[in-house]
Amino acid sequence: MESANRLLLLAAVVCATLMFSGCALFRRDKPVEPQQTEEQAAAEEEAEDADSTPPRVIDPNVARRKIKTPKIDNENWEIGVGAGFMSIEDFGTSSTYAGQISYHVTEDFFFRADLGQSTAGKTSFETLGGNIELLTGDERRFTYYSLSLGYNFLPGEVFLGRKLAMNSGFYTLVGIGSVKFAGDNRLTLNLGAGFRVLPTDWLAIHIGVQDRVFNSDLLGEDKVTNNIETLLSATVFF
Amino acid sequence: MELSITTTRSRQLRKISALVFVFACFLSGTAVAKQTPEEKAQAKEEKAAAKEAAEKAKLPQVFVSEPYLELATGPGRGYPVFHVVEREQSVDVLYRRTDWFKVRDERGVEGWARANDMRRTKLADGSPFVFNLGDRAGFTSHVWEIGIGGGDYGGANLINAYGAYSLTDNMKVEITLSQYLGNSSNGYKAEAGILHVLFPEWRISPILELGTGVVLVEPRATIVLPNDRTDQTAYAGVGARFYLTRRFFLRADYRWHTIFTSRDDNQELEEWKVQIACFF
Repeated sequence: MESANRLLLLAAVVCATLMFSGCALFRRDKPVEPQQTEEQAAAEEEAEDADSTPPRVIDPNVARRKIKTPKIDNENWEIGVGAGFMSIEDFGTSSTYAGQISYHVTEDFFFRADLGQSTAGKTSFETLGGNIELLTGDERRFTYYSLSLGYNFLPGEVFLGRKLAMNSGFYTLVGIGSVKFAGDNRLTLNLGAGFRVLPTDWLAIHIGVQDRVFNSDLLGEDKVTNNIETLLSATVFF
Repeated sequence: MELSITTTRSRQLRKISALVFVFACFLSGTAVAKQTPEEKAQAKEEKAAAKEAAEKAKLPQVFVSEPYLELATGPGRGYPVFHVVEREQSVDVLYRRTDWFKVRDERGVEGWARANDMRRTKLADGSPFVFNLGDRAGFTSHVWEIGIGGGDYGGANLINAYGAYSLTDNMKVEITLSQYLGNSSNGYKAEAGILHVLFPEWRISPILELGTGVVLVEPRATIVLPNDRTDQTAYAGVGARFYLTRRFFLRADYRWHTIFTSRDDNQELEEWKVQIACFF
């Protein structure tokens, strides 16, 4: 019985030996180069390490990249002068001279300030009534300014002849301001529209109309007056 | 209307029409100058001169890193694209208008490139081309702001414009110019002060104001006090800023004014106003 047990154990050991060595037996025909190369590489690394500094995981001396912001010339301001006609309600149409400055915020919107002066004519009452003068010379001066928000729309090009195309565009204006007329200041609301042509990128020619609306009681009754200004102006961008 | 036009008026009109004519001549003059065909040599010289000038001015140069960069004829989305600059080519940046850059490519072609496209270009050392954009980050941190608006100043209508310079994101110095139009008096104000933005990174941020200035009072003709007078004024105020879109924001203020009059008592006035403003 004991010898039978020993036999069984021996058989098991032999089987186990055969099984475990089996993998190696089956792969014996294949070369065992990878093991060799790994050993070689390790040897090479050791050789390298021996004559150089110890390996560094992170190089701490990284140059910090400076982000440069190149100086770019901004040309969002537009300044200019113009001349035209101002139709002052009840006081006829007179010449007017005006200055304007704009700041272009986006390609669509801009702020604009206008300052102008005109001289009122005579009312028909004064003309027909002989020597009657409603206003003195100084009071006839019609000085106005306005602060407006403008909106560009319908951008396009105008063509002069075959070779020349100029950028153009329409704009609308809405704003508030003040007018000094007949010895008094009045709050005005201004609404306007204009057309702008740019012969070059820095020069613009404007044709614009603005209605300057204010309350007036000059002729007895309090009423809303519409004073329409037509202006031809030249502006430069800077 | 026609009755009121006198001979002097028609003379004036003639003067104006002469002026308009001069303007028209000026306009056509620039057109003719452009139209005349120039000699090639002259054009070449001009180009060379322009190149030299560019080198002198040391214009920023950027390289196209996207497949191409589109150039339009004008600084607006409606203007047609007439030229493309290829990848790896450079352009000189001449100037910027709103969200468009005027650039010149290696062949001397000038056109307008969109800011969004320019953001994807690189400088010569490979670093990105950085510039300020009109966005929320710009609203938080910017250098200048200007605004216009209106409101009420002690019962009078108020017209107002201001400009502010940022010392920090929170602290700004500002100058306010205003005109008020009331029933008893008109006048002008010029004030300088400091402005504290409590939370610049918030879309709606409260502000505190403190300043001083002068006020010119012009009593209206019908009122007894006939003389104009200039008084010193000081104010303290609270308000809020509200970011709208792009570069625009709204600003609303409430200010308490004390006017140091030459009379026995100082005058106290309340002012409120709403302004539309932009930053850059």
